[in-house]
Amino acid sequence: MFAISKDFAPPLKLIAPFFKIGVTFYLIAIISLMFFNSSFSYQEMQIAGWIHLFLLGFVMVIIFGAMAQLIPVVLEVGHAVVDLYYVILPLLAIGTAIMVFGFWIEPYIISYGGVLVLTSMVIFALEAFATLKKAKIDTITVKTVAVSNTFLLFGIVTGFILALGLGGVVSVDVTNILKAHLYLVLGGFVLLTIMGISLTLIPMFSLAHGFSDRAIKIGFNLVSIGVLAVAIGSIFNIIALQYLGYLLTLIGVGFYIYQIYLIYLLRVRKELDIWAKSMIFGFSSLILSLILGIVYFLPNMSESWLHSSMWFFILGFIGFLINGHLYKIVPFLVWFERFSPLVGKERVPMLHEMYPKEEATAMFWYSAIGIFLGGIGLLIEHDFLFKSGVSLIIVGAIFLYISMVRMLNYGK
Amino acid sequence: MCKITKEDIYKAISTVIDPEVGFNLVEMGLIYDATIDNSCNVKVTMTLSTRGCPLHQMITTWVKEAVLKLDGVGDVDVEVVWEPAWNISMADDNVKKALGGF
Repeated sequence: MFAISKDFAPPLKLIAPFFKIGVTFYLIAIISLMFFNSSFSYQEMQIAGWIHLFLLGFVMVIIFGAMAQLIPVVLEVGHAVVDLYYVILPLLAIGTAIMVFGFWIEPYIISYGGVLVLTSMVIFALEAFATLKKAKIDTITVKTVAVSNTFLLFGIVTGFILALGLGGVVSVDVTNILKAHLYLVLGGFVLLTIMGISLTLIPMFSLAHGFSDRAIKIGFNLVSIGVLAVAIGSIFNIIALQYLGYLLTLIGVGFYIYQIYLIYLLRVRKELDIWAKSMIFGFSSLILSLILGIVYFLPNMSESWLHSSMWFFILGFIGFLINGHLYKIVPFLVWFERFSPLVGKERVPMLHEMYPKEEATAMFWYSAIGIFLGGIGLLIEHDFLFKSGVSLIIVGAIFLYISMVRMLNYGK
Repeated sequence: MCKITKEDIYKAISTVIDPEVGFNLVEMGLIYDATIDNSCNVKVTMTLSTRGCPLHQMITTWVKEAVLKLDGVGDVDVEVVWEPAWNISMADDNVKKALGGF
């Protein structure tokens, strides 16, 4: 029998800054969307800057902070060197800020920021591997952590080659390396991490039991092979292999959605709180993203279908899955730190009392409607609709920021 | 002869609330058994609603502390088991109703 010791849990002062900074980057990324139009090309430096701002500053910072807490929960062992997380955050945050500044204003500094981000990610991945070595259990989530971190390392290497290529230091096909880099990080690390961790968290929060995990195992294998195929196909410019990879990824994500549906059917907890609503919106966005992505691959389709697909994937799926879980994870961390020692001595709050309901509801509706409008605006390349959607998401992001501050200050 | 009964132990453990769902462990159906020997040493067999629950260690400590408050109790041992796995049918009707499971 195994018990998670309190000693394994990193202190709030280590994890809280990840969430504060991550949500701040989210707010900045959403506000900066106002400076973009509904029609663009992926190769524009401004777009690359925004993608890095959102994916590194918000997604990666929050995932790294969450993993500091969740790795001991998932692997049932303590971190190998938890204090490394004190180094990971400043490197990642400062590196991201420099990279984004570089993409937007001074391209020559991109590689300096890239080195800081690279160092941060290497430390994260190596610490995760060292912790994995201690793990005695062998679940799909553990495998996901191992494989996603391997893809992260490859993603970092391709990113570094890309930075060197953009700086003229090495001669590479920037478009192909960019494709491999994007797919390794977004599909190989972010998607696989979300797939693995959600298989632990979603049944935990919805109290779902007794489901088969066959679908997620198939989905996990297909996405892993798909990511590998796209990465190799891009680096060596083998188009057929890239398309095979896209197809496998699509089918794999389909299995993942089916797995979540099985969990949804068996859930005991049917309360529609901010977490449950966010999961519903997030997975609906994922389905919509898949449909738009499939349509894009039909002959003679405009690139706006791909833009809209990526919008719903990044902001609708990843954004809502992360933000929805923040309303569970942050109150837990605060409760664990400030209230768990008081259990049995005085009344302690329940976790659901520790997040501001009205702000959370406002965050949900402004963001959800904004993402929907913005996605339609991108699809039909309608600037007014796109910017109307962005305006609503900005209001939602402000409410998220307020919620985060209130949750972290609860009981102080 | 020990005067502590199984009911006393369950009553003591019912003061322990799961902070996530807001119900006590007894009405959640998480306490599988409690045995008392002649010297008033108690062994509680329980489960948790989720394997890998980050509160695992703390909840078992709270259970132990709750039982230790009983007069005349000896050693308290809390064992967490995963078989049979917990499911909502083990919970009291008020829990089922509140969670919306039935």
